[in-house]
Amino acid sequence: MVRVSEEWLNICGGCEVSILDIGEPLLDLLPQLQFVHMPVLMDHKYFGQTGEGTTMEIPEAEVGIITGGIRNEEERQIATEMRKRCDTLIALGSCACFGGIPALANQYVMEDLYETVYRASYTTEPSATPSEDLPPLTDRIYAVDEVVDVDAYLPGCPTSPDLIVEALTAVLEGKPFSLPERSVCDECPTTREKKAVTSVKRPLESIVPPGQSVESSRCLMELGYLCLGPVTKAGCGGHDKVPRCIRAGMPCRGCFGPIREGANPMVDMMGALSSIGLDPRSIPDRSATLQRYTGAHNRLRPLPSR
Amino acid sequence: MAQPAVEPVRSNEFEPLVLTFCCNWCAYAGADLAGVSRMQYPPNIRIIRVMCTGMIHPNLVIEALTKGADGVLVCGCHIGDCHYQSGNMRAEARADSIKLMLEDFGLEPERFDLQWVSASEGARFAQVATDIVERVRALGPSPYRV
Repeated sequence: MVRVSEEWLNICGGCEVSILDIGEPLLDLLPQLQFVHMPVLMDHKYFGQTGEGTTMEIPEAEVGIITGGIRNEEERQIATEMRKRCDTLIALGSCACFGGIPALANQYVMEDLYETVYRASYTTEPSATPSEDLPPLTDRIYAVDEVVDVDAYLPGCPTSPDLIVEALTAVLEGKPFSLPERSVCDECPTTREKKAVTSVKRPLESIVPPGQSVESSRCLMELGYLCLGPVTKAGCGGHDKVPRCIRAGMPCRGCFGPIREGANPMVDMMGALSSIGLDPRSIPDRSATLQRYTGAHNRLRPLPSR
Repeated sequence: MAQPAVEPVRSNEFEPLVLTFCCNWCAYAGADLAGVSRMQYPPNIRIIRVMCTGMIHPNLVIEALTKGADGVLVCGCHIGDCHYQSGNMRAEARADSIKLMLEDFGLEPERFDLQWVSASEGARFAQVATDIVERVRALGPSPYRV
């Protein structure tokens, strides 16, 4: 019996749904797993059931799963405690691995964020920034591995249920788990004709005509849709192998992150786009578009005023 | 161990470090010519010889500028003279996006320059090198400099 401890930090909850979405294989896994801590499922308080405790209590477990990045001091404390209590720590989902969508906020300084959220927004009644009984926010959004050591990464927004099974099975058998350094293009079934792109179209202009299969479609980048496949790690298709967004007729948005650790998808993509003769100015909001899920690790940052 | 006779001059003034990529066929020969002709140009240039400007991926430039260099200069053959037919045209296409991305990294686009220097243009290499060193000196140290 392997004890599993799961914690969600700065996240929407989609990765938890993805765990549930494992479906039938979950039934085979469950007899070997014992969930000892999982706030999304069970009511387990950090400081005793009535708040009488003085130290944070997270039960010991062989496997720890963290979803979501770190946005406030409470989340930082939980992540540190999880690391202490778990033998193997898995970062699940793009937020835990690279900051994810919330890390787009790293483009702005804190005062601007407070101003927009609590005062400047058209639909908000202006009020003071709340501070009472709330954990203070960290200066920016951190990926889990910027705060504690992580043993396995499972990116994706949300990640594929097949990959969760693969990772859990690997951990149960005591094997290391990592994704191969391949790009989404390596698993993409569309046809490439090596023709230059002249302009960038937006995905809301029709892509794959209804009724046409992706296998018979041309490469979306060649059709003029900004597809992050060339600079994104493969694996989102799971057992199906076909990348999920491509399967749905949409270009890749880069949720699996850089192919190699430390690579910069924006620079890689801009280099590739300008090499095929595309005007680099025609890419809207390039910094955030090309680093939509990878804003932590200081990739997205407020621009210094000049 | 013998001590150097003259202590190196160290001043507190900012001395820019400009990484220079020169293509093997034109610009490196041009820089060589500037050297053997004893032309004067600032010692702030550090030349790296590459086979073609077309192989200089934006990653190399961004990496240099975010890890300590104050400026990056890329020199290659004039358009039409590329040893590999179209490598320098590729470099030219990339130069635009490099300048755009420097803004995303909070750097001045003027820290990067792409210039064509043929093997016979030693004087031009000296001029181009002087220009970028002076320009970067005026901008000051890169914010990423450690």
